Amino acid sequence: MSVALKSAVDDGVVDELRAILGDDDRVLPGVSARVNRTRVPAPFPVHRWAEFMPDVAVLPRTAQEVSEVVKLANRLRIPVVPRAGGTGLADGAVPLRGGILVDVKLMNQIHEIDLEDRTVTVGPGINMLKLNEALRPHRVFYPDCPASYPCSLVGGRIGTGGWSLLGGRYGHTRDLVVSMEVVLPTGEIIEVGDGGGRKLRHSSTAFNLKQLFTGHQGTLGICTEATLELVPRAEAEFAAFFAFDDYLTAHRTTGALTRSGLATIAGVVLFDEYKLAYLRRDDEAWIPQPEWVKAVVAVALYGAKAEVEPAAKLIMELGRADGGKYVGDEISQGDWAARHDRYATPLHGRRPDGQAVPMSWHCEDAALNYSVLPRVREEWHAIVQRYIERYGIFDDWGMFCYTSGAHKPWGDYLVEIDVGIWEQKMNDEHWAAWVSCKREIAEVSLKYGGSITCCHGATREGDAELVPTEMGASWEVVKRIKRALDPNNVMNPGKQSLDEAYSE
Amino acid sequence: MSIFRLGEQAPPPPRPIADGVVERFEHVYEVDPERMRVFPQQDMPAWDTHRIVDARWDHLDWMHDHFADEILSAGLESETMPAEAMPSEERANE
Repeated sequence: MSVALKSAVDDGVVDELRAILGDDDRVLPGVSARVNRTRVPAPFPVHRWAEFMPDVAVLPRTAQEVSEVVKLANRLRIPVVPRAGGTGLADGAVPLRGGILVDVKLMNQIHEIDLEDRTVTVGPGINMLKLNEALRPHRVFYPDCPASYPCSLVGGRIGTGGWSLLGGRYGHTRDLVVSMEVVLPTGEIIEVGDGGGRKLRHSSTAFNLKQLFTGHQGTLGICTEATLELVPRAEAEFAAFFAFDDYLTAHRTTGALTRSGLATIAGVVLFDEYKLAYLRRDDEAWIPQPEWVKAVVAVALYGAKAEVEPAAKLIMELGRADGGKYVGDEISQGDWAARHDRYATPLHGRRPDGQAVPMSWHCEDAALNYSVLPRVREEWHAIVQRYIERYGIFDDWGMFCYTSGAHKPWGDYLVEIDVGIWEQKMNDEHWAAWVSCKREIAEVSLKYGGSITCCHGATREGDAELVPTEMGASWEVVKRIKRALDPNNVMNPGKQSLDEAYSE
Repeated sequence: MSIFRLGEQAPPPPRPIADGVVERFEHVYEVDPERMRVFPQQDMPAWDTHRIVDARWDHLDWMHDHFADEILSAGLESETMPAEAMPSEERANE
């Protein structure tokens, strides 16, 4: 079977792209345009930057233009990689084999605000913050709130199956997309939703294709339009942080809060001792806290004031029932409002000798059940500590566990261990060490019945090779779907071990 | 008319407040310069520090206004720290 394995972009291809778009300014073969669309914010093998550059970037405005670009790529077996905000943490938008990068940022229009059936229809290049500014006069809100809220785009959220900090209350990206328009790897334009209606939330007709086209990491198509859920703008917000002198008590309180049955809970977060140690270095809220504070539990509520106000009283009781101490209004409100800082803060970490050096932030994520969190925590920190001692370019920035179930926050969690990496020291040995560290962390997740990624995607080395193991017997079905939709492996090739679909 | 004099913008000397942390303005914390020998800290005039701190409070206010009409409070003092140790917009500019 003929598949796209290496780019074949030449001047003739660039000329064809210009003919499709009819605008030379939206076909970008220059070095700066390509360099700027190479990496994502996660630590990167910067010493091999050039290997990850696309050969040309294009900026389409319509689904028809995207379709024609993809048809060209499919005809010539050229890799094509969709990219929205480029804010993902697992290289989903990073070209592994050059090719054509389809940047959707110009597809950022709001096509329709429907206040009767409560949907908004947008292009994939719009940012949630800007969308919500436009929605505010109507007292409705699109509640997809990742850490990258100020800079990520709707198309990337759909491609990666994004996870929202408000997901316990409102659902995550996959719950908030009502339907969408998708360009398949062969160039056909299709509509997918729950059944056939563009604004229907539930149908029993045929298969539910919407979920298939959410979270595929750009390997099954390119979203060119999306119809999204609108929720009433929240009248009230309430946030409370509780301090504990040991992790297990904080873990118990986290469970009690999530099982409270309060529907306004947007999220409950458990920070561990390593995270507190990291915050004590630099964070104005946590530096002055007494030494006995070893774990913190945070809760956030949203909704109508008539619901949030009484719920807040119960949260205050539950948070302090097992020894938790309230940290105060200022820190609770301020730290909750700082939840997007990861994308705005220049980062630094510590070498083993204590010297501060610039570091990038890697968040290794997993989906895990509540019961295994304490054991996973111990094993993950032990793994990272070994690599810190041996290589001197890593730093353990602690762990957090965040309720993950949409509308049912009691059973499972997004779990992350944050690791600082001194990228300036990156070389082949250090990159290989980092990939090995990631793989060890992911293997622990599988050992405890979890998933190797909750929301970032299994698209990086260290994770990608474990996808077949995690999927088990269903991996055969995944490969058949990929091969059926993308017969020439042109759509974001090399990700998630999907090349295996073409090796038989 | 105010005249800008660079000499008046020199920040006060740091005082240690925690392991690896110093403070020049109240509740504005910096990494101990002793831990910044590999990458030395840049010199910053006082006005620039205050600008950054003010912008930070502006951002937090914007966040609250963006996501909800009203921010509800527990209305309780901190049970982990005395009130005078808490960060606040007023104290940051003292």
